[in-house]
Amino acid sequence: MELAGIFKYFYELLVSTGLPQVWVDIIAMVAAAVIIFGFLAVCALFLVWWERKVSAHIQQRFGPMRTGWHGWRQTIADAIKLIQKEDITPMTADRAVFYWAPIMCFVAAFAVYVVMPFGDGLIVSDLNVGILYVVAITSFTIISLLMAGWGSNNKYALLGGMRSAAQVVSYEIPMVVTICSVVLFVGSLSMVDIVQSQAQIYQWYIFRLPFGPIAFIIYIITGTAETNRTPFDLPEAEQELVAGFNVEYSGMKFAMFFLAEFVNMFTVSAIGTTLFLGGWQGPFLPSWMWFLGKTLVLVFILMWFRWTYPRLRVDQLMEFSWKFLLPLSFANLILAGLMKYSGWFNW
Amino acid sequence: MSEIDKLQTEEFVLNMGPHHPSTHGVCRFVLKMEGEVIKDVEPVVGYLHRALEKICENRTYAQIIPVTDRFEYCTSMSCNMAFALAVEKLAAMEIPERAQYLRIIMLELNRIASHLIWFGTTALDLGAITPFLYGFREREFILDLFEMTCGQRLTYNYIRVGGVARDIPTQFVPKCREFLNIFDACVDDYERLLTENVIFVVRNKNVGVLPPEKAIAWGVSGPALRASGVKHDLRRDDPYCIYDRFDFEIPTCQNGDCYDRYIIRIKEMRESAKIVRQALDKLPEGETRAKVKMVFKPPAGEVYSRIENSRGEMGMYVISDGSTKPVRVKMRGGSYNQLQVIPEITRGHKIADLVAIMASMDVIMPEVDR
Amino acid sequence: MDREQLIKYIQDKFPGKVTLLDCGRVEPFFKVELGFLKEFCQAIRDDTTLGMDYLCNIAGVDSGEHYEVVYSVASVKNKIRFDFKIFPERENPAIDSVIDVWPGANWYEREVWELYGINITGHPSLKRFLLPDDWNQGHPMRKNWDAPDFVRMPEN
Repeated sequence: MELAGIFKYFYELLVSTGLPQVWVDIIAMVAAAVIIFGFLAVCALFLVWWERKVSAHIQQRFGPMRTGWHGWRQTIADAIKLIQKEDITPMTADRAVFYWAPIMCFVAAFAVYVVMPFGDGLIVSDLNVGILYVVAITSFTIISLLMAGWGSNNKYALLGGMRSAAQVVSYEIPMVVTICSVVLFVGSLSMVDIVQSQAQIYQWYIFRLPFGPIAFIIYIITGTAETNRTPFDLPEAEQELVAGFNVEYSGMKFAMFFLAEFVNMFTVSAIGTTLFLGGWQGPFLPSWMWFLGKTLVLVFILMWFRWTYPRLRVDQLMEFSWKFLLPLSFANLILAGLMKYSGWFNW
Repeated sequence: MSEIDKLQTEEFVLNMGPHHPSTHGVCRFVLKMEGEVIKDVEPVVGYLHRALEKICENRTYAQIIPVTDRFEYCTSMSCNMAFALAVEKLAAMEIPERAQYLRIIMLELNRIASHLIWFGTTALDLGAITPFLYGFREREFILDLFEMTCGQRLTYNYIRVGGVARDIPTQFVPKCREFLNIFDACVDDYERLLTENVIFVVRNKNVGVLPPEKAIAWGVSGPALRASGVKHDLRRDDPYCIYDRFDFEIPTCQNGDCYDRYIIRIKEMRESAKIVRQALDKLPEGETRAKVKMVFKPPAGEVYSRIENSRGEMGMYVISDGSTKPVRVKMRGGSYNQLQVIPEITRGHKIADLVAIMASMDVIMPEVDR
Repeated sequence: MDREQLIKYIQDKFPGKVTLLDCGRVEPFFKVELGFLKEFCQAIRDDTTLGMDYLCNIAGVDSGEHYEVVYSVASVKNKIRFDFKIFPERENPAIDSVIDVWPGANWYEREVWELYGINITGHPSLKRFLLPDDWNQGHPMRKNWDAPDFVRMPEN
């Protein structure tokens, strides 16, 4: 049951109506945007529920149980509650910055999905700079966090914003270097090319010894840091900074940060799947199912981290990135280059 | 002069608390910061001041016991005990054997319960949420035992002047043994979660180092003192009740940092379980309360008595003038001195370390503010 | 060192300045002359036989007729414990600070100052401690203190 075929059928239906090509493109684009938006909204709601269940079971409790089967309606109720809440802007806040920060965070989180290869042929636009686009867009989140920290005019928020800026800047570098080592093998930045170069399981980059597993681990670590989750959740460290950058936000604006966090988590896992786990490649099942399945496994690993580890201190976090991850990722890049050049392990 | 040189940095004053997730009650720290680094700390207390000492002056001795419950609500049994002990010293009272053993059982169970709260909140303050739930799961067992005994889960009013309020129910001993049987495995569980967790270790090692001389001079007591390498435990050094009849270790560490304070408390939980086991084995039959007159008047005099609480030395200074009400009751808790020393060991650390230090000192605010 | 030896030792060491009080059933209780406090504390801490390095408690007392300040000290090393008290004057009570001897005395002295109105000479920061910052209703632990009626404080 390939979804790409269904979409293709509707597209051809649209063309056959005889509309001018411009209109066809516009309608197709709007439809794609709406579908992606709907998918991500549902996905974020599902992840919130799932995180609550995972955390509950790790902590030997049940989590939400009263609203529907195993409490599946809980996050819907939460979302409705958040929408209804009063939207408070502090008197001393920088209003414009304060207002735009969550929107920017939200938009940045969603814009990545333009190049996300959900399945065979199931991609909005196969840009030839795909992975570069992803790296560029995800960095946008950081500006919104800084804006939130500065605009709130709150000391905790400012500390949180500063921390997240420092953190994301230092973790971006090992991440990009690691992604480079994969791109080196593929020889292309396009997401579809990356997936297609891993047609068989032994071709998945995670199994390309020795560089693959290291690259994958570095990617997961930096990805956790990029999404500001435990053990790297310093920007919103609730025991030190109360809630960090989003301490002054309420209602829908808070919900935007909240949803963006979960969407970002899904993004990191999805990119990880694409780069290392063969994307939508897999036998028997439709390609989009493979993609979703692999991504959710990675999401589960991120959740597992969160409910197991304590939080690092800010200087230890920096040390870990600059003194350990960065040299390791460069060594890994060199290793990958040597492998590519010599032709070993190039199955 | 370039643009950069013209920029000035200034000290940044952060009010941490009184309503802050990790100040354990309502304490306020006025932090003078330079970026993330703390230059100076000033604890501001008094938000939980309930004038307990003044209230005690207008109550009879029996009425004071429930007031002491509120002094340090994580270990109410110890508070009852400290006060009852002081009054018994004044009146030179003989306590029945069974009551003595029941007191030991309750005190040690309460120490475990208190350490379990500490375990949960320490992990929580460092960002790990799961251990909190684990600690509270076992604490629930102990609270059930207390509820079975005295009907209360937090403010027990169980240890009275002259003995204990009432005998334990028949299911208590088997239930308690059942708990002790699983408890060691539970502590192993906790240790697996945190003790060798790399992140936990780097967050705690060499943070908030308290040298032994400083600890003694500042009046730090209990696990925090023993973590600095001073083998001082009032259960051994100034024995009260019948602690001299039990066989238990007093764990000590050397470095006096947050990690050592963690290790000490974990070991202490095991030792407490050991004491409870011995006490259950030896528990004699008999009366649970000495004869105390309805209108109780201890002879005139004054006494300072102290016991080893889970947070250090808990002292009660009682003055009696021979009437039904005391002239003065002064309560002294371990947290008081532990909080006092925090500025000394926090300067130069990061803001996240203050949270770790506060957690490792196990400060609880009602004990400070009274 | 048992109780009798301790009493004898202290009385021999500080003749005339320290007297034994007959209160307290277990540990000995001494009375120290008002001006001698700091010297006494220094001496008992530095004395090798006593070594009272640990300050357990400082409690202010108002017995109705006079004020007292009670110090409970202990030795971690030698396992000795005793108490001593001093009697500040009724009018304008003041005592010396012992922070130099035991730094832990800081907050206890602040508390005595705030709740009993006994001035602590030489204390670095006598600021409001347990009571609200704008408290102006006297020293509540004194026996002659009347609780003010509960009225809502005016908003600023």
